[in-house]
Amino acid sequence: MNTRAAKPLILALLVVAVLVFPLAVTSNYWLNLVNLSISFSIACLGLNIVLGYAGQLSLAQAAFWGVGAYTSALLTTGLGWPVWPCMLIAFIVAGLFGVCLGIPTLKLTGHYLAMTTIGFGIILQLILINAIWLTGGSDGITKIPSPWLGSLELKDPSTFFYVAAFSLLLLTWASIRLKDSRVGRAFLAVQGNEMAAGTMGIDTTVYKITAFALSAAYAGYGGALFAHSGSHYISPDTFSFDQSVVLLAMAVLGGNGSAIGAIVGATLLTLVPEVLRFLKDSYMMVYAAGIVAVMIFMPGGIAGLVKGLPIALRLRAWWNAGSAATQQVAVSVATGDGIGGRPIPAKAANAGSNGTLLSVKGLAKHFGGLKAVDGVDMEVRRGEIQALIGPNGSGKTTILNMLSGLYVPTTGEISLEGTVITGRKPHVITAHGMARTFQNIRLFGELTVLDNVLIGQHCHSKAGVVPSVLQPASQQAEEAGMRKKALEMLEFVGLRGKEFAQANSLPYGQQRLLELARALASDPKILLLDEPAAGLNANETEALIDLLFRIRDQGITILLVEHDMSLVMNVSDHITVLNFGKKIAEGAAEAIEKNQEVIDAYLGTEVGNA
Amino acid sequence: MLKVQGIETWYGAIQALKGVSLEVKQGEIVALLGANGAGKSTTIKTITGMLKPAKGTIEFLGQEITSREVEDIAEAGIACVPEGRHIFPGLSVIDNLMLGATPRKNPSQPDLDRDLERVFHLFPILQEFRDRLGWQLSGGQQQMLAIGRGLMSAAKLLLLDEPSLGLAPVLVQEVFKVIKQINKAGTTILLVEQNARMALLIANRGYVLETGKMSLTDTAANLLANEDMKAHYLGAHAHVKEARQRRLNERPSA
Amino acid sequence: MDLSINFQLATAGLAMGSIYALVALGFVLIFNAVSVVNFAQGEFVMVPAFVAVWLMDVLKIPFPLTYVITVIFMGVFGIVFQRIAYYPLRNRTFLPVIIATIGVSIFLKNAAQMVFGAEPFLMHRPTPPDVLKLAGVFIDPQYIVIIVCTLALLAFQYFFFEKTSLGKKMQATAQDKDMARLLGIRVATMIAITFAYSSILGAAAGILVGPIFYVTKEMGGMLGLKAFCSTILGGFGSVPGAILGGIFLGVIEVFAAFYISSGYRDAFAFIILILVLLFRPQGFFGEKIAEKA
Repeated sequence: MNTRAAKPLILALLVVAVLVFPLAVTSNYWLNLVNLSISFSIACLGLNIVLGYAGQLSLAQAAFWGVGAYTSALLTTGLGWPVWPCMLIAFIVAGLFGVCLGIPTLKLTGHYLAMTTIGFGIILQLILINAIWLTGGSDGITKIPSPWLGSLELKDPSTFFYVAAFSLLLLTWASIRLKDSRVGRAFLAVQGNEMAAGTMGIDTTVYKITAFALSAAYAGYGGALFAHSGSHYISPDTFSFDQSVVLLAMAVLGGNGSAIGAIVGATLLTLVPEVLRFLKDSYMMVYAAGIVAVMIFMPGGIAGLVKGLPIALRLRAWWNAGSAATQQVAVSVATGDGIGGRPIPAKAANAGSNGTLLSVKGLAKHFGGLKAVDGVDMEVRRGEIQALIGPNGSGKTTILNMLSGLYVPTTGEISLEGTVITGRKPHVITAHGMARTFQNIRLFGELTVLDNVLIGQHCHSKAGVVPSVLQPASQQAEEAGMRKKALEMLEFVGLRGKEFAQANSLPYGQQRLLELARALASDPKILLLDEPAAGLNANETEALIDLLFRIRDQGITILLVEHDMSLVMNVSDHITVLNFGKKIAEGAAEAIEKNQEVIDAYLGTEVGNA
Repeated sequence: MLKVQGIETWYGAIQALKGVSLEVKQGEIVALLGANGAGKSTTIKTITGMLKPAKGTIEFLGQEITSREVEDIAEAGIACVPEGRHIFPGLSVIDNLMLGATPRKNPSQPDLDRDLERVFHLFPILQEFRDRLGWQLSGGQQQMLAIGRGLMSAAKLLLLDEPSLGLAPVLVQEVFKVIKQINKAGTTILLVEQNARMALLIANRGYVLETGKMSLTDTAANLLANEDMKAHYLGAHAHVKEARQRRLNERPSA
Repeated sequence: MDLSINFQLATAGLAMGSIYALVALGFVLIFNAVSVVNFAQGEFVMVPAFVAVWLMDVLKIPFPLTYVITVIFMGVFGIVFQRIAYYPLRNRTFLPVIIATIGVSIFLKNAAQMVFGAEPFLMHRPTPPDVLKLAGVFIDPQYIVIIVCTLALLAFQYFFFEKTSLGKKMQATAQDKDMARLLGIRVATMIAITFAYSSILGAAAGILVGPIFYVTKEMGGMLGLKAFCSTILGGFGSVPGAILGGIFLGVIEVFAAFYISSGYRDAFAFIILILVLLFRPQGFFGEKIAEKA
């Protein structure tokens, strides 16, 4: 059967399973455990967003879980408000705390990020313990009420199960929808290659904070569920660093980046210890040894293990066959739409006026005492291909980095089409029409070819978090439009047929083409290429030369940094030569070839007699 | 002394060396030249054992060293002054130099003292700064320290990777003078350089690498006189010129 | 301002700071050698504390011999740890490594509980429990012991690293591993020695701090985290930075706990950490010391 018919069927099956479950499992003990594991699962779904999608390590998840639990508990016991809105408020309040954590951690990565989140979590826990006037301190909060459905108090584990299970279904659905959307792609891009994400037009600051906020909100809701069920009692001890570690272990065991994996991991690590109770004292040791073993042998977690199984591959293929993306690609192949290289909307209007597109004045970059770039003036004319060359250490890549916003110039001015862009952030510069590729390919390797090109269009699309989850008609239309353009880009560079391949599975030459397609997808006025021929063999270089000319014919200006002189001499209308951070020559290829200063810079000079 | 045959080395997915062969005979200075990215440093890293080749062999003094450990190759008598100098920033000049002697098997104190004196004779500034820490030295001084450290190993073969990089022209002259002196005193040298002319002025022979393959080899004198050298560096090969002309004829330029 | 109280606090602060410094040092040495953040470093203090207690209480071995055996045990422990925990993870990305070292930490904590039971132990003091009266103020003599021993250990370490050939080789390995290999330095051995020495530092901390606190399986947890904070305060990767960061943290913590709030005692380290990371992420000693180390 096709997936279109299957989806409602699966939903129906899930609903039935939920309704029937408490009739099948009647032991309160096990139902309480299941409710607990659902609460943990939701916290892990949150962790999956910030860590699995956006790649930011958070060891404060238990603290947010606690914030949610306490918010809901305090509002219901202290103010007597009804439970449902309080759980929603818990979701929001925890999310706000997540924003508070996101802000100081923006520039941090790795262990610094880990430590900061640990510290944040510990501070929150200490507040819960010490702010006795608010939280009751170590005594905790007792007699937390249950939610009411009409006149039915949902206080048995079996009735509460419905609340928990349907919440879980909803939040899981939201997580999965989020992943395959503009926002989800932006998260994955930040994780895959933060620097490239910025130059693709993604405001990494906003997305990192959003990821923390969402993950904290999920955890908060999970905590609220926890408060209103089970023993209806919470105390600060539960929301410790150790618990954050457990949540992290659950997420990683399940498989980082997989929503279903998060649920599996949380459930396993909640239920299995119960089963292992017979081991008594040593069960924690077994548990810990298991975590270490999983990290050594199964770093992809359970999801990673399952992904490669033949049955999983077939299921995935069957499921993907029904996705809008696959169908669009298939349709476009069948009807010939997009084949024949429909050109990129040519900037025909601008192509006529031969003015200066990019102007650089007095640009300098000093790293302490080192003058990497020492006062360079350059102009790139609209519609030309200009090459920036020079021996090792002459400052070429530094200039490119300043143009694309990765470095802030020490002095000097850069303007694009009259707009000053000196020192602006990379994603802003991209929005103004300057895209780039990198010397060491910076693709989003784990994502598909199609996704990489879709990310390139980020700055010209707008779906936010809510439309990405709900996927109304306007968002679906936007996605379809983006896919269409992506297919055109892929056709243009010659990568049609590879849409769903993983980017880092492509051979090297094709990865370079993909990087170009991605950059072209952002509708640039000027394309900055950093050693586009590096690692290409002679045939691939020939094909690249042709491609560069075709790009130029579309009205896009090109500035490239290159060492491969045969490429440079073949392709450039204008060449600028740098040495020791200064411009030493510029002009057409023939002139540069004969310029003695250039020859000296490359071949070296006879300095005295040695 | 050193025989490299058919080396193929990969950096991840990229093949950096596509079958490189070269030879260095005892007492020579051999220059390894080529544009940036041609594979010169990769060749050096393969010889020292930092990179393992997928194919090919390396022989030193009649023994195969292709698959041996870096530390063992150092002890066998190959010393390397890598690109970027890599002096230990937190250790003093004298400590850096003495660490250079690590690969020697039971050297006597008088031998060490004598070799230290030799280094100080070649680079007087190092003696003056003997207690300064590595990071406090300027680029040129660090380069001298790196070479001095290489000398302390009493190695039979010294690999120098881009010794002139980032140095002002006057210092470059100094450094090359010293390299010539070291060679006269008995050390065989394989010199990787971007500054082809300077290298060829002191070398006996040269090899030119182009995108991972040997494209030219000859005596230094012949290479210096070779007009084609420009082609290998500046992309002015005949076939490239033809292609360019063809394109210019086919397309209007902007 | 009551001078005698402040003097007491200062001594206690210096003592705690010394412990943090020792643990932070062990941390930094491992990081410099193999770029791994060892979240189990706190357990390097807990394990020897238990071992020492067991030797003293159960086997009734006299103090000096207990200390020697504990130190040797931890040296071996460090090498075993490197082989079992670090070596299989050496090529993994940092997330699996963090989780794995946390996993090892949990394993060690529970192993200690399984072997020694859940009751907290009190380690016998080598110093008389009566407080010392120094300049009119009551001081716990163990604090003095801690400070003096730490100074002695640091002096030994300085001598070892700065004046012996092996110490120089270890510094070289930490500063530039690849270059060290090119010089023929056996880097694998240097790494093993680093782990052993780092564990011995933990042994010293465990023996010194055991008599003051209860010896429990949790004693290493906060200690490790705060030691990590100390290294960041001092400038991550810097050896003198770790020491000074630890002492600074110890002193600040004791004073803040007394004057501001004792309930939030554990929070101060992290608050300072977050502030430093926000405003001066390279730590106190920033680049200069980082280059030296």
